Amino acid sequence: MLPDATAVSHILTAAGVSNAVVATETLGVVCRLEAASVLRALEALRDGELDFRVLLDFLGADTGEEIEVTYHLRSLTRDEELFIKATVAYDGELRSVWNIYASALMPERETAELLGLSLVGHPNPKRLLTTDGVEPLLRKSVPIRTVEEVRNR
Amino acid sequence: MSDPRDDVISVGALAAEGTHSAGDPPAGIRRVPSGVDGLTTEHLIINMGPQHPSTHGVLRLLIEVDGEEVLAAETSLGYLHRGIEKLAESRKYHQLGTLMDRGDYVSGMHGEQAAALATEKLLEVTVPDKARYIRTLVAELTRLASHLVWYGTFGLDTGAMGQFLYAVRDREVLLDILEEISGQRMMFNYIRPGGVVADLPVGIEKKILDFLTDFDVHLEEHHALLGGNEIFQMRVKGIGTISREMALAFALSGANLRATGVGFDVRRDRPYDAYPDLDFDVPVGSTGDAWDRYMVRMEEMRQSVRMVRQCIEGMPEGDFTAKVPKVIRPAEGEVYASVESSRGETGVHLVSDGSPEPYRYHYRGPSLFACQVLEEILPGHLLADVVMMIGSLDIMLGEADR
Amino acid sequence: MAIDRFTGEHSVAFIRSEQLFDYARSKSLWYMAFGIACCAIEGLMHASGPRFDFDRMGVFFRASPRQADVMIVAGTVNKKMAETVKLLYDQMPEPKWVVAMGACASTGGPFREYPNVVLGVDQVVPVDVYIPGCPPRPESVQYGFICLQDKITKRTEERLAARRDRS
Ligand code: SF4
Repeated sequence: MLPDATAVSHILTAAGVSNAVVATETLGVVCRLEAASVLRALEALRDGELDFRVLLDFLGADTGEEIEVTYHLRSLTRDEELFIKATVAYDGELRSVWNIYASALMPERETAELLGLSLVGHPNPKRLLTTDGVEPLLRKSVPIRTVEEVRNR
Repeated sequence: MSDPRDDVISVGALAAEGTHSAGDPPAGIRRVPSGVDGLTTEHLIINMGPQHPSTHGVLRLLIEVDGEEVLAAETSLGYLHRGIEKLAESRKYHQLGTLMDRGDYVSGMHGEQAAALATEKLLEVTVPDKARYIRTLVAELTRLASHLVWYGTFGLDTGAMGQFLYAVRDREVLLDILEEISGQRMMFNYIRPGGVVADLPVGIEKKILDFLTDFDVHLEEHHALLGGNEIFQMRVKGIGTISREMALAFALSGANLRATGVGFDVRRDRPYDAYPDLDFDVPVGSTGDAWDRYMVRMEEMRQSVRMVRQCIEGMPEGDFTAKVPKVIRPAEGEVYASVESSRGETGVHLVSDGSPEPYRYHYRGPSLFACQVLEEILPGHLLADVVMMIGSLDIMLGEADR
Repeated sequence: MAIDRFTGEHSVAFIRSEQLFDYARSKSLWYMAFGIACCAIEGLMHASGPRFDFDRMGVFFRASPRQADVMIVAGTVNKKMAETVKLLYDQMPEPKWVVAMGACASTGGPFREYPNVVLGVDQVVPVDVYIPGCPPRPESVQYGFICLQDKITKRTEERLAARRDRS
C-alpha cells in the first residue's frame, strides 16, 4: 500500500525536481512540491519504475492562506498509493496535467471554478458545474445561507 | 489523406450553453459547411438532455453528427450540483451520512460507509464484529438494489419494457427489507461512525433468506430475459469498447474497469469491514465493451447474493456499535477511505482541524470519471448507440455533480 | 363507464362542457419523465412499477413535454437547472400543472443552505401540489395526485361560483 519514500524522492531528484519533501503522514505517503514542478514530477512518476499509471483523484482545499491541491496517484501493478501536494496562491494559475493524466480533465475544471483559480493549458477551460457569475463556492470566505435567508425565501 | 474538415472555417458559434458566454464552440466540436464526401451537408449538433429519458438523470451531451455517425461529443455537468462538499463543512461527523446518501442516491449505504470509515480512521476506534457484518450485509443488499436499477434502465435504453417491471418488483422487496432495517426506503443514514445506528430487527434473517431463494431464480430469469435476447446482444456487443489503457488513463473503477480486464476491487484489494472474512470472486471481462460490462454486473449480483448468505451465517454476537462520543472531535489530520460502491470506487478525502466539523470534505464519485470517458468513446458510433453506452456505464449524476 | 354510477344506465346526462373536460383531464394526467435527483427513483421509477402502478389512475409517463399535462419536479433545482425547468414548463401545452415532489422541490430541502440551490421550484414555475418528504414514499405521491385530481375537477365549480358572485 505505502510506496517506499526514498524510491519516490529518488525518482523525483532524477527528474530534476528539487526541494520535494516526501513524508509518511496519516494520509499515506505525501510528497510536497512547488506548483511549478508538478508537471515534471507527475510525468516522471508515471513513467518511472513505480508505475503510477492512474490519477485516481484530484482535489483542492482552501487552507486559509492559499489553495492546496492534491493529486492522488495509484499504481496498480505494485498496489501502492501516493499523494502529491502543491500550493497555489488565491489568484494563481492552476496548470493542467491533462496530457499526463486524462482523468484530471473534469476534476481540474471543477476545482478551478469552485476555488476561483484560473486554469491554464486545459483544452476546454470552461466552467463545469455552475453558471457564470457564481462566486467560488468552496472558498472559506464564501458563506453558506443563514437560517434567516432560508426562512424569508 | 488529410481530414477535409481541417481546412474548413467555422461558420458560426454553437448556441450558448446555459448562460455561458456565446462565442466559443465546445472543444472538439466544429461546424463545417460541407461534408466529408464533398456533398453540401452540414454537421448537425444535437443537444441531448438535461431532460432526456435515457440520460439517467440530468446529464447533458452535445453531439456532433454527420448523418447518423457521431463525430464528437461533449459532456456538460452541473445540473445537479448542490454542494455536498461545501455543506459537509458545516455538518457534524455523524451527519455526513445524510449528505452521502443523497450523493449516489441509488446506493446510499456505500456512501455512508465511506464517510464512516474515514471518520473512524481519524478517531481510531475499533468497530465491533457484529457491526462490521451488519454493514457488509446492508452494503451488499444495496448493491443488489442498485444493480437492479441499472438492469431495469439499461433495458429501457435498448427499448425493452417488461424486464424493467420485473426488476422493480424485486427491488420493492429489497427496499422493504432495507426499510425494516434502517427505517427508510432510500435515504438510510444507517451506518454511523463506530458502527450502525440500530441492531438488526428480529426475524429479518428469514425475510432476507426467503428473498434470496426467490432472487436466485429471478436473477437467472432476468439474465435470460435481457442477456438471452438476440436483439439485445446484437445491440450491445462491440459497442462502447474501452481499452485497458483508456480505462486506466481515465481512472475508471468498478465494473467499468473490471470489464476491461483489470481486476481491481476495493473489497478485495483494500479490504474493509467484513470483506476479509468473506469468500467471493471478482469477475473480470476481456474486451471492455458494453456486453462485458453487462456480464460483469450480472456476475457481481450473483456474488452479492453469496456474500449476503455468508454474512447471515457468520453473523457474530455482540454490540452493534462502538462507544463513540455524541459530538465527535477527531484529532487533526487528513485521511482517505474508500469503498467499492455499485458504481466503482467511492472515496472520501477528509481533512479535520480538531473541531466537530470537517475542515475539508472531498467526495470522489466514480461517475464523474465515467462521464469523462463518454467524450472519448462516443465518436465513431451511431447516434442510436449513444444511449446504450450511457446506460452501460451506469452513470449516477448525483455523485458526478455532487 | 364511471359516469353511469351517478346517472344510472341508459340515461342522459347534462353537464357543462368545461366540467366534462375537466373530469376527463383529471383521469388522464400524463406526466413528463423528468427526474432530476433522488426523488425521481421513488416518484417516477417505483411509481410506475408493479407495486404502486400509477397507470391505473391514468397517470402515465411521456418522454416529451409537448405531450404532457403534469410536470413532477422530482429533485433539487439549482441555478443552472432552473432555466431548463422554466423552458420545459413553457413547452407544455395548456392546461398544465406542476407537482413539487419532495423537500428539495418545495423549499430547497437538505441543500437549502447552499447558495447555488434554488429555494423551491415555486420561484421558477407555479406549483399546484407540494408533496413533503425526503424522498416522499410513492404512496404520498399517489395521494398528491389524488389531490391534484380533486383540484382539477373542482375548477369548474369554483369558476361558476366566482361568476355567480360577480353577477
Ligand atoms: S427531497 Fe430528498 S430525496 Fe428528494 S431530491 Fe431532495 S434530497 Fe433527494
